[in-house]
Amino acid sequence: MNIKHDLPASTASGFALSAIFVLTILNIILQNIPNVTQSAGNQLLKLNETEGVANAVTTVVVYFRGFDTLGEISVLFIASLGIGLMLHKNSECNLKVQSNFMLKTASKLLFPIIMLFGLYVMIYGHLSPGGGFQGGVIVASGVLLLLISDKSFEVPHSLILILETFAGVSYVLIGLIGLFTLDIFLGNFLPNDISQMGMLLSGGIIPIIYIIVGIKVGSEMSMIVQNLIKRSDNV
Amino acid sequence: MFEFLNQDTTIQTIITVGSMTLFFVGFFGLLTQKHFIKIFISIAIMESSIFLFFIGTMFKKSLTAPILGDGYTTFTNMNDPIPHAMILTAIVIGMAVLALGLSFSIEYYKLTGNAEIDKMNELRH
Amino acid sequence: MSSILFIALPLLFGFATPILNKFGKNGVVYGSTIMQMFLLYLAFDLLLNTGSHIEIISIAPPLGISFVLNKASLFFVMLFTFLMTMFSFYYLTHRKTDAYKSETKFFILINMLLASSIGLVLSSDIFNIYVFFEIAGISAYILSAYKKTPSALEAGLKYLLTGSIASVFLVFAIVLIYINIGSLNLAVIAQSFETLPHNIKILISIFLLIGFGFKVEIFPLNFWVVDVYQGSSSLINALFSGIVVKAYLFVFFHILYLFLPSGEFSLFLIYLGAISMLVAEISGLRQTNLKRLFAYSSLGQVALIFTAFAMQNQNAIQGALYIVLAHSIAKFIIFLALTNIKKEYKNFHINRLKELNSPFLRTILLIAMLSLLGLPLFAGFIGKFLVLKSLAVSGVLGALVIIVTASLLEAVYYFKLTGFMFSKSEKKEKLSIGISQKIIFSLLAFLLIFVGILPMIISGFLFDGAGVLLDSTTYINSLIGVQ
Repeated sequence: MNIKHDLPASTASGFALSAIFVLTILNIILQNIPNVTQSAGNQLLKLNETEGVANAVTTVVVYFRGFDTLGEISVLFIASLGIGLMLHKNSECNLKVQSNFMLKTASKLLFPIIMLFGLYVMIYGHLSPGGGFQGGVIVASGVLLLLISDKSFEVPHSLILILETFAGVSYVLIGLIGLFTLDIFLGNFLPNDISQMGMLLSGGIIPIIYIIVGIKVGSEMSMIVQNLIKRSDNV
Repeated sequence: MFEFLNQDTTIQTIITVGSMTLFFVGFFGLLTQKHFIKIFISIAIMESSIFLFFIGTMFKKSLTAPILGDGYTTFTNMNDPIPHAMILTAIVIGMAVLALGLSFSIEYYKLTGNAEIDKMNELRH
Repeated sequence: MSSILFIALPLLFGFATPILNKFGKNGVVYGSTIMQMFLLYLAFDLLLNTGSHIEIISIAPPLGISFVLNKASLFFVMLFTFLMTMFSFYYLTHRKTDAYKSETKFFILINMLLASSIGLVLSSDIFNIYVFFEIAGISAYILSAYKKTPSALEAGLKYLLTGSIASVFLVFAIVLIYINIGSLNLAVIAQSFETLPHNIKILISIFLLIGFGFKVEIFPLNFWVVDVYQGSSSLINALFSGIVVKAYLFVFFHILYLFLPSGEFSLFLIYLGAISMLVAEISGLRQTNLKRLFAYSSLGQVALIFTAFAMQNQNAIQGALYIVLAHSIAKFIIFLALTNIKKEYKNFHINRLKELNSPFLRTILLIAMLSLLGLPLFAGFIGKFLVLKSLAVSGVLGALVIIVTASLLEAVYYFKLTGFMFSKSEKKEKLSIGISQKIIFSLLAFLLIFVGILPMIISGFLFDGAGVLLDSTTYINSLIGVQ
């Protein structure tokens, strides 16, 4: 039974069905607009004062909910693995338009600046808005620029592999070190005085983990982008 | 006279109505579209609408962003940081699954030339 | 010995594999098997020595994430690690003739599936459950489409589409929970869930039901299951029906018992499960493809487990845990044996059973099928008996009638299969099974008979496990009281 055959596929009934569904949801939600005064987030904000990190969202992502972040980078890792498995790079890029030397030179000039900005966002993630994910995606967009402007550019596979492996293994190892020294997985075992708040080296393991996350996300997104481009012939 | 527009509940109502409209668009696309890419886009629209709804309704105008700077020295009177953290994770996970889905569709299209969901007949019903 | 190692070791292995791959494939394969044996030992050690406790991650609950180990979750962890170890051994015997391409990637995916299933069972935080839900899902999608043939890709696409829809609804439910209650910890949510206004409570419950319902395979959200089982390879089907769906069942009912301890929707869920079982068995009657037939049988058994859990009383849950054990082992035997049939006869038509000329395999398949039927002296009997007795005692006679009808239909096609296997005609030449595969199959079949003849050995343990699962107040107090 394929549900696309059996459901009314005509647009009118689809419209009516989804409209009724969404209007009921809307009605129920509007009656319960949030009036939560003391949510867990406020308690975490109070707890954040002992961690010595200026950006509370970073502390929540990396430390208080660091296990979710570990799970999320493993989702990204498995997705990158799956895309590499499906779209193995065995055909060359078939961009129809040969780019001229001005485009190639300009993108080569822009790439280090984008890379630097991405690294800045990664490293200062605990002091200003930003962080590992954001910085990693910026780096990957720089790689994307090079990939679509120059047909012969290839991301060096072994470098990406080493970066990815190093980042992933060190994240889990930091968690395990916390387990052995403090008896808590992903515990904060490096010094994190509140006096250092606002400095680059503050918050213990938090900036280190976020840089690791940034390296991993940047390298994996570059691999995903390269696999999707290299295999885009005639599709 | 127009102070009611500045209150939290009005902003939250507007955001709820807007994001549920987006959810409706995505849900409608999911139910009626046949092409893979359109179904993936519908799912992405539904996910984005939920994220907008969440961040929008947990926003209180009188509080500030949960980052120290601009003269703030303690973590009081700040917005909730948990929705931001949850949405970061959820965005990355949603994007990863969708990228994987795209690669499945590309490979399937290369092998069978079919990109519509009701013409998939490799597996007998 | 911490329970975090169940997650940390497979993740470490998975992240390190792309580099270890350069040093040799065999190392990765054998290393993974040794790691899984260590995890099996760890599961037994945690059960026997440490018992019930809470494992803190980063900060103490209820603000942080934690793992809760008790008899119920440890039972599932032991089952999963045991089955995965058997799977690895079987793959090692299967490997010389029929290895998978990029074996190391295959093993990364297998280990991620194991880690996320264990994480689903142990976790006590609803967003963490969502993250593990996604990890298990994405590993399963890739494993399903692994062979890259058109049917495998179609199975992977269908699985991915339905899984994405499920996760959209699950995120919506989590968002609504946080907006109205303000916490992500299961214990804190359970305390305040009853006091929510009625309409938002129903909306959240419906979204959770839709989100988990796709994965728990209840009617009408199980339209994808049979096609996915047909398109994936038989080895992977063993994992799907033995490990993955059991983890999702545990999580769904764990959340249900915490949020709605008074059993408001249990009658609705009981009838939903019973109807799913009936529909699955009716559809299975006219199948001629072995994989589809066993997929329908799997749907029926999972629906029976669903009904048993939905009754929310201790005897029924004890029966459900018995069926979980019996069904996982029996389906493992069946799907692993089907790989031999594929290797020898090259397709999965039901007539291949007539040509099957291997007394060992026929006996093993007979034992597995009789256990699934629920004949006495096999492991499936005691579970079914307890469930039917609970249905009769609680007075839900309509569901009782539906389930008995469905079981009779199941018996019809299992007896048909047995008849095919033992028919006297058209045998091809003898199919020889390697000695190591014989050992694995014999061990699994022996377990089925052992639990069937002496169910009282684990009945106390399962009864306590059922009690722990139902006991939401102890769970809530243990999480909120931790400092």
